[in-house]
Amino acid sequence: MNAALTRNLPLQHRAADRMYYLLRIAALFAMALMFFPDISSAKVTILINKSVSLFSAGISYSGLISDSARPLRLEWVQASTYQILHYGSLIAVLGGLFAGACGCMSLGSLRLKRLGNIFGIAGGGMLMLGMGMTYIAYRQFAAIVEKADRIAATLPDAVFIYAGLGLLILLISVIVQGILPRADKNDRFEMKARYRLFLMFLPIVVLAFVFAYLPLYGWRYAFYDYQPGGTLSAETFAGFKYFQALFQNESTRNDMIRVLRNTLVMSGLGIATSWVPLVIAILMAEIRSKFFLRSVQTIITIPNFISWVLVYAVALAMFNTDGFLNGFLGLLGVQSDTNYLMGNQNIWLKMLAWGMWKGVGWSSIIYVAAITGIDVHLYEAATVDGAGRFQKMRYITLPSLMPTYMVLLLLAVAAILSNGMDQYYVFQNAQNTSTIEVLDLYVYNIGIGEGTSIPLSTIVGMFKTIISVMLLFIANNVSKWTRGESIV
Amino acid sequence: MRKQKNELNHAGYKRTAGDRIFENLNALFFVLFMLLCLFPFYYLLINTISDNDLVARGSINFWPVGLTISNYIALKNVADLGVAFLVTLGRTVIGTITMVAVSAFAGYLVTKQEMWNRKFFYRMLVITMYFNAGLIPMYLNIKMLGLTDTFWVYIIPALVMPFNIILVKTYIESIPPDLEESALIDGAGYLKIFTSIIVPLSMPILATIAIFGAVGHWNAFIDSLIYNQTAIQLHTLQHVLYTYLNKTSNLAAMMNSGADAAAAAQAAQAALNNKVIKYTISMVTILPILMVYPFMTRYFQKGIMLGAVKG
Repeated sequence: MNAALTRNLPLQHRAADRMYYLLRIAALFAMALMFFPDISSAKVTILINKSVSLFSAGISYSGLISDSARPLRLEWVQASTYQILHYGSLIAVLGGLFAGACGCMSLGSLRLKRLGNIFGIAGGGMLMLGMGMTYIAYRQFAAIVEKADRIAATLPDAVFIYAGLGLLILLISVIVQGILPRADKNDRFEMKARYRLFLMFLPIVVLAFVFAYLPLYGWRYAFYDYQPGGTLSAETFAGFKYFQALFQNESTRNDMIRVLRNTLVMSGLGIATSWVPLVIAILMAEIRSKFFLRSVQTIITIPNFISWVLVYAVALAMFNTDGFLNGFLGLLGVQSDTNYLMGNQNIWLKMLAWGMWKGVGWSSIIYVAAITGIDVHLYEAATVDGAGRFQKMRYITLPSLMPTYMVLLLLAVAAILSNGMDQYYVFQNAQNTSTIEVLDLYVYNIGIGEGTSIPLSTIVGMFKTIISVMLLFIANNVSKWTRGESIV
Repeated sequence: MRKQKNELNHAGYKRTAGDRIFENLNALFFVLFMLLCLFPFYYLLINTISDNDLVARGSINFWPVGLTISNYIALKNVADLGVAFLVTLGRTVIGTITMVAVSAFAGYLVTKQEMWNRKFFYRMLVITMYFNAGLIPMYLNIKMLGLTDTFWVYIIPALVMPFNIILVKTYIESIPPDLEESALIDGAGYLKIFTSIIVPLSMPILATIAIFGAVGHWNAFIDSLIYNQTAIQLHTLQHVLYTYLNKTSNLAAMMNSGADAAAAAQAAQAALNNKVIKYTISMVTILPILMVYPFMTRYFQKGIMLGAVKG
């Protein structure tokens, strides 16, 4: 909307637009907070699971009573109380949705705005009603004299937050409905394209936010003495204790050094062999039979499309005690029952070999694509000048592939800490953990696998992410300086 | 004519003895390379269709002896395998369809210059490719959302794939804008244009991301391992396979105990042993990929070129 139009609008439209900002923010908060168990209005007694948010309390009754089976059976508490709480939460959740719908409609034409206000009034009202029912449930819990200490009814602050947001949304909707003129008969339910497109895109933005940005909020676990199922509170706040432990605790520090060494060595081996696909692609370009070329391209890329679990299955079949290699040696008259997968010898090289078996064929296809893009005239001119096969490879093909190679090399350097955990997880066993454990696997092992330390695992993951982003930034700048274009 | 052509090298000169030696060595190299890639699968196959006593003795190395498919039939006694198969098939189908739909729609929307704050939201989306909060924060986030121990943890977090959105966006930008503009003049809305013009024209790229997505879903096991650790009935095929591969207990006995008497007798007769069971489960997990793979190669290679072009 340009400035001239805005100035010509009646005063009440401008006032309504201002108030709508407030309403949208309130609706956004009401909808977002619903998903946080920390800000759950449904937690009116300690009998309700800590991980129950307002949203889950409204959606799933079984989740709400999951920790209350015994009190319900012994009839300390009434199921009807839980039902009031459940339906109150459900109404509040729907109220939040209605308020959100009002916020969306407020971007439209006058007629749409007026319809939206109805939604806003309903939504605000439902939020307050839901909180009212939550309050009733709280009173019922609080009224129980017997086992009062086991029930410990409390009225969470969140009740007032949601009720307040509901009141705000209700008031704004009523006021705006009052000051906006009635819609013309000819006015339609419509919205400017820019907002319509935005609203269509909004669910995707929300998903990206929830699954990529929201987890960053979990970095706070690095600062608490957190145990699975525990709480984050002032009592468990640990400050930089775990950061210090990382550097000062002897065994943790040794672990970190060992894991970093494994990570860097394995990434380094990967980078040191990154020229192999390039050479294979150049050789592939020399194949003259179309059929043979197609077969090669199809078959050498197969391993890339099976999972690491299946690679492990293949590895077992080949190199286990009763695998192919021992069977084959038996045919040659050598009795052997070595399990080549168990020991701790040459793990780095073995992992490199499996990584190459899986990935080299696929990586070389990238270069094949680049080779097909090279101007044929270059080769013809070189032939006229008397260049042989290897001279053409050396002076035409190789230099043409260099830009692609450099991009992939820079990306590999930027990803030096991220080997992924799949490969190392499947090949890990009691004997080789010390040399196979890379950073990603270590984060898993100390965080979930053995569950020894969630804060420590969070910190290691945090550092990994920060360093990786910095490396990518540096790689991107190197690319800009040397090649004049960015890679990301 | 053809013969004459064969005697010339690719530059149009007569092939020398050196050319021939090089080409033969090159062909030999690639034949060996192909063998290296195929032999392990072949080895698994021949061991699952051969006489189990010979397999147990390790004497099946290069060709099958005493053909039988009893091992594959015996797999029906492994109850969790069927469940895992259904779970994996379900996530592959549902996950791929929804991911492609979201990528297509998002890719279309971000080509629309008139969207409110388009640049900001698009950047916000793209940046997510370059960082992640880490395993534990992600796990606790998923847990907070109530997605742990549910089937939907396989689908919902994988809906928005920035890289696929970029691929679709780039592709749509290469479609001539005239078509869309004339539809716009005819009064078609964005949704109508998307379904009737953009989707049919973007089929090649949508097929490509669909195939990559499907392979990813079929092969996934880390999410099953982390988010559905305790919900055994939701483990994916790869996860179940991994569990079996690491079992040292007597799998044949376990399978027999779960089955009726007739099946037990059948299994005993087939001389099932751990090795054979592991191989057979591996084989049924690989087979779907191997069977569709040759038909998909075209799309895979198109996909990688698109990825390279993006650069």
